[in-house]
Amino acid sequence: MALPDDPDTRLIERLVARDERAFNELVRAYEGRIVRLLARMVGNEEEAKDLAQDVFVQVFKAISSFRGDSKFSTWLYRIAVNLCKNRVKYLRVRHANEQDELDSVTEKSLGDARPAGGAGLGRPDEQMAGKQVERIVQVAIQELEPSFRECLVLRDVEELSYEEIEQITGLPAGTVKSRIHRARAMLREKVERELGEKIR
Amino acid sequence: MTDPQVPEDEPMPEDEGPPSSRDPMASLLKRSLAGPTTTSGPGILPGVQRRIRRRSRGKFFADGWSTSNARMSTGLIAVAMLLVLALAYFALGPVGIQ
Repeated sequence: MALPDDPDTRLIERLVARDERAFNELVRAYEGRIVRLLARMVGNEEEAKDLAQDVFVQVFKAISSFRGDSKFSTWLYRIAVNLCKNRVKYLRVRHANEQDELDSVTEKSLGDARPAGGAGLGRPDEQMAGKQVERIVQVAIQELEPSFRECLVLRDVEELSYEEIEQITGLPAGTVKSRIHRARAMLREKVERELGEKIR
Repeated sequence: MTDPQVPEDEPMPEDEGPPSSRDPMASLLKRSLAGPTTTSGPGILPGVQRRIRRRSRGKFFADGWSTSNARMSTGLIAVAMLLVLALAYFALGPVGIQ
C-alpha cells in the first residue's frame, strides 16, 4: 500500500517557507502511517512514536532539500527507515548487557504462543487463522536482520513497489529482490520450526 | 544473518501483485503485522512541536496559536468575530437606542 495522497505542491511550498500550520497538517496526515511503519520495524509502539517524532523533526529541518525527484511519501519513508536503522543500532548497544534477559522473554513469548503439543493443533488452515500463529510471526520478524526486515516489511506489509523500496533504502534492484526473497525464506523457516508444520 | 553462499544480486523471481496472491508467507506476514488502523493514545504532534521549539531555541512553535491542537480554521474564527461585532453594533448602536 503506497501512501495514497502526496501533499500537493502548494503544501510543500508552505513547508519550505516554514509555515507552522502547514507542518501541523503534514504531521496529522502522515503520523499514523509513519508510526505503524516504525512499529513494524522496531516491534514496539512507544519506541515507534518516539522515533516518529524525530522523523518529523528531521522533515522540518530538511524540507528545503526535497527536490521532488521521488514522491514526497517515498522521501518521508526514506527518512523514517534511516532513523530507524540508527535507532536499532543504538538499542542493540544499549541492551547488549540485557541480552540474556531479552532472550528469556522472547523464549517465553514463543513458549506462550506455541501450540501446546501436536494433538490439539487442529487443521493447518485453522492454525494459520489463529492469533498464536500471528504472534509467532511477530516474534520471528523481529529476529530477522534489520536490513532484511526493512525490505520485507516495505514489500509485503506496506506493499511498496520495488522501485520505491530501492529509493527508500538506496539499494540496487537486485539486492532489494534478493533480500526480500531470502528474508521471506528465513521467516518461513523460523515460523515453520515453531509451528512444526509447513506453511501452505 | 546473510548467507555467504548466495550472491546479494542473485536474480529473484518477480512477485508482482498483492501479497495474498504471491506467497503464503507474505500473506501471513501481512495479516500478522496489519495491526490497528489507528495508533493508540494521543497523537505525536505536541511532542514534535516541543522538540522543534527546543532545538530551534524558541524560533518555531513558540506561540499558542501554532502549537494549538485545535483544528478550528482561522476563517471560522473570523466569522465568529464578525457575528460578535454585529451583535455588539445592534445592541449598542443607533438601532438599539431607538
